Amino acid sequence: MYLILSSIFFPILAGLFLLIRFRTPLSGENRAVSRKTLTSLIGALLVITAALVVAALMCAKDGFTLFYLTKNLPVCFRIDNVGRLFSMLAVIAIPCAGFFSFAYMKHEARESRYYGFYLLAFGVLNALCFAGNLITFYLFFELLTLSSMPLVLHNGSKEALMAGLKYLFYSLCGAYAALFGIYFLYQNCDSLTFTADGALRASSIAEHGGFLLVTAFVMLLGFGVKAGMFPMHAWLPTAHPVAPAPASAVLSAVIVKAGVLAIIRVVGMFGRDFLRGTWVQTVWLILALITVFMGSLLAYREPVLKKRLAYSTVSQISYILFGLAVMNETSFTGSLMHVLAHGFVKAALFLCAGAIIYKTGKTRVAEMRGIGKEMPLTMWCFTIASLGLIGIPPTGGFVSKWYLALGSLKSGLPVFDVLGPVILLVSAMLTAGYLLPLTIHGFFPGADYDYGGFQKKEPCRLMTVPIVILTMLSVLTGLFPDMVAGIIAMAITGR
Amino acid sequence: MDFICNFPFFSILLSLFSGTVCSVLPAKAAKIVNRVVILAVGLMSAALLLYLLSTGESFIYWMGHFPAPWGNEIRAGVLEAGMALFFCIIMYLSMAGGAHKLPGEVVESKHNLYYILVNLLLSSLLALVYTNDMFTAYVFVEINTISACGLIMIRQVGRTIEAAVRYMIMSLLGSGLLLFGLCIMYDLTGHLLMSNIKESVELIVANGEYQIPLIVSVALMCTGLCIKSALFPFHAWLPDAYGYSTVSSAAILSSLVSKGYIFLLIKIIYRVIGFSVFNSTRMIDVLFVFGLMGMIFGSLSAIKENDIRRMIAFSSVAQIGYIYMGFGMGTQAGMVASIFHILSHAATKSLLFIAAIGLTDVSGGSRRFADLTGSAYRNKWAGVAFTAGSLSMVGVPLFSGFISKLLFAQAAVQVEGKMLASLIVLGISTVLNAVYFMKTVIRIYTATTETPYEGITFRHMKAYAVTLVFFILLNVILGVSSQPVVNMIGQGLAMFA
Amino acid sequence: MGPNLFANYGEAVSAILFCIGFTNLLLQTNLIKKIIGLNIMDSAIYLFLAEKGYIAGRAAPIVVDGVTSAERYINPIPSGLVLTGIVVSVSVTALMLSLTIRLYTRYHTLDLDEISTQLKREGK
Repeated sequence: MYLILSSIFFPILAGLFLLIRFRTPLSGENRAVSRKTLTSLIGALLVITAALVVAALMCAKDGFTLFYLTKNLPVCFRIDNVGRLFSMLAVIAIPCAGFFSFAYMKHEARESRYYGFYLLAFGVLNALCFAGNLITFYLFFELLTLSSMPLVLHNGSKEALMAGLKYLFYSLCGAYAALFGIYFLYQNCDSLTFTADGALRASSIAEHGGFLLVTAFVMLLGFGVKAGMFPMHAWLPTAHPVAPAPASAVLSAVIVKAGVLAIIRVVGMFGRDFLRGTWVQTVWLILALITVFMGSLLAYREPVLKKRLAYSTVSQISYILFGLAVMNETSFTGSLMHVLAHGFVKAALFLCAGAIIYKTGKTRVAEMRGIGKEMPLTMWCFTIASLGLIGIPPTGGFVSKWYLALGSLKSGLPVFDVLGPVILLVSAMLTAGYLLPLTIHGFFPGADYDYGGFQKKEPCRLMTVPIVILTMLSVLTGLFPDMVAGIIAMAITGR
Repeated sequence: MDFICNFPFFSILLSLFSGTVCSVLPAKAAKIVNRVVILAVGLMSAALLLYLLSTGESFIYWMGHFPAPWGNEIRAGVLEAGMALFFCIIMYLSMAGGAHKLPGEVVESKHNLYYILVNLLLSSLLALVYTNDMFTAYVFVEINTISACGLIMIRQVGRTIEAAVRYMIMSLLGSGLLLFGLCIMYDLTGHLLMSNIKESVELIVANGEYQIPLIVSVALMCTGLCIKSALFPFHAWLPDAYGYSTVSSAAILSSLVSKGYIFLLIKIIYRVIGFSVFNSTRMIDVLFVFGLMGMIFGSLSAIKENDIRRMIAFSSVAQIGYIYMGFGMGTQAGMVASIFHILSHAATKSLLFIAAIGLTDVSGGSRRFADLTGSAYRNKWAGVAFTAGSLSMVGVPLFSGFISKLLFAQAAVQVEGKMLASLIVLGISTVLNAVYFMKTVIRIYTATTETPYEGITFRHMKAYAVTLVFFILLNVILGVSSQPVVNMIGQGLAMFA
Repeated sequence: MGPNLFANYGEAVSAILFCIGFTNLLLQTNLIKKIIGLNIMDSAIYLFLAEKGYIAGRAAPIVVDGVTSAERYINPIPSGLVLTGIVVSVSVTALMLSLTIRLYTRYHTLDLDEISTQLKREGK
């Protein structure tokens, strides 16, 4: 119990402390001095938090109730295997991006505010993974939006502010739609504690079945906003490019996944048997496939690198959603694997993009010719991570997509069993089409490239090491899929 | 009858007399008297609340020992005592939070006048809460109006006088309607005491006589109180009145005065007309529709506003809409949600007004958003408080606003016909709230490089900062441990019947 | 409906007067006319109360020749209410008039809309 609580509240309190203690923007002389202490302090905080989370993951067994919001609504925490998986992703990706930002944020103003909210978001994410019922989850879902919004609008420019507001607006709309559903679930369930096989009362299903389907759909759409599902995806490509690169890495790799986690929980509450074969499943499949295809297409046409990666996130998250929508165990495994695979890969890609921006200031893909000669290590990592996203063995992306396609084929759904894998394949081609040119032109700039002007621009270790770690992880998940699959199998069976 | 049963009477009389006493005291002494009286009344209400909780039933106090139906009566139950206690807390905090602004806003010679008005307001609020007599209620409604009008215009600038005139006009329309409705009710039933009227109303309804006059009377009383509490189409006076008066006045007016009328309406619904009779009239549908419209249009006006205090004032319009929506649902749960929202809105709105003044002070007194940029860095306590208030307004979990929205939604789910409308409007209004409050929060936390204004530190505003902390605590307490409060409201409503 | 209305013509008149006063208070832009409207409205209510309290053929409840039977007197409560109401309405009227004077000395007009436009022009 104390491990879970401390892993949630330690970073939150640390973040608040940072926000309150270092409110005034550091400037002038004392900035250089205090920056070193500040970064080492934050590094220590990140490591301690990560250690706490790992300890909580290993040791904590029982759930517990913290307090009662109202009579029947407890705020409670419990670690289950799905949460464990998401928490693993968070605990690796967030400190990595954090260390990366020590170098990246060197020249940005108001670092302490950034790190304060960074830690805050970390704590809230842990709470989200460990939440034991829907109301607790919702509580931290809102807090996650609020604590991650300052990361988006960090640089304070007009576009950043507007992007932040857009993010807030979309997320709140979504969360509210979800809350709407929670009220109905509350009426029709005995408790809001998470289960994986439906908590609806049999009498309610018989009585308000149709209405409950609408509720389920509204909740899917609502939480789908965070996951960037089709009709409400527009905030993602706006918010990512303006955020600092490590923040967009976290946003894209982890925070967006909160929406996925939410959808897994919701489907669990309704029960797959209740949703399978209904119009909700059909519409959901259609939306997911549209998003997959459209995201890739938009990414393909996008000239700005970070925006391209953002569109790619839109597309890739919907792979996961597609897997969930198919609703069998193989595809579920594939989805969960893709959560990990995409998390590591996308974090690595955004950090690479950040390193390029930091060193050269180039943001558009067309300007990046010959970048591989200047920053070979970064670009190698970028290439390997790209392969992971496309789904070429031996990377993690291959395994997860394999499971997804297999699950879809096995599902026996009309039309979608074949259509799904086809669209996934087309989208993978597009992925190759929008990521690989960077590598190709980066390493082979062509005959007319001016080799005289180029210089070594490899970034410092603080930047490269997190990138390398994330890239290696993305490969490792592919090399040893059994380990990951084992955990996931536990998640499926041990629920 | 225990001695403690005298407390409601004592507290009304104490605040009334202290108002008179203040007129001959110097400003400083008047201030102390004012604070002591509010504290004393608060303590008495708290004691009364504990006593009522332990006995578990309400009591009726005969003024001058004439029994009904001749005498005048005071009635105290859990809800009344709790409301009185809460009003005292909010009033004390609002006075403490705005105290440092008073010398700048009100002429020195009128300070004791200010405290007279506050004491008078308190006594009329208490009387509205406790009285069991309709005509007494009317008289105190007028006293309330006059003292509120005085609080608006005590700061003598063109805007406030105009606002006071507009406020008076709307209020007088409202009280005229209330009085007329009351007279018809007296004509129908022959009584002025609430409990006696209710018996007769039940008889009338059972006999099926005088249906139309009864409905007319109910409609007149409801409309009158709605106008007075600034329900949506009648809110024109509100932004100026709240936006330009002294800060304590604004906080008190928005969080207490309109709530006093709403509480009177609740009493009329339960103790005069009878909850089921009231629900069988079409009045609740009217209240429901106007409540919903208020929720949306109030927020829309707030979004368009470029003046932070007027924005907060417009947000009040939306929040009043929430309360009337709860009435309009016509269920016990809706009523509980409304009453909880009265508490939560009072705690939040006064916090916002008090925090906003801290922000405008460090921005050269300007309330325009452009000048407020980065003001939260200049006055940190006010910044944090404003953020907390905004989060509560938006309905973020752990703050009181979330609980009231939760209660509203839970109540809405139980009402078949009105469920969808109320949930959708709740959603829209929440998002609109988020838009303008978050916009402001981001604005005050956007750092500017060059700033012409000086910051202020904790040392120079100890009392102010402590007040803000209390306000935030009040909000969080209401948000985290709401169940006892909700239970108390339920118990109080049960005592009404 | 017709005969009832005729029998209760006092109440009907007071209701009409109330409406006249109400509309005046609401719609007139001139402040003095508004206040007159307010007084018409209040007086209408007092008329209504007095009409309700009066019973034809009975006297005011003042004991003069030792007659204590309630049958002989009218209901005194509405008269009491009227008195209280008059006190309230006088004080409210006084307050309104003083506010009007304040506004007039500042803006030299009694037209509320005119005052509003002047305020807007001041831009405060």
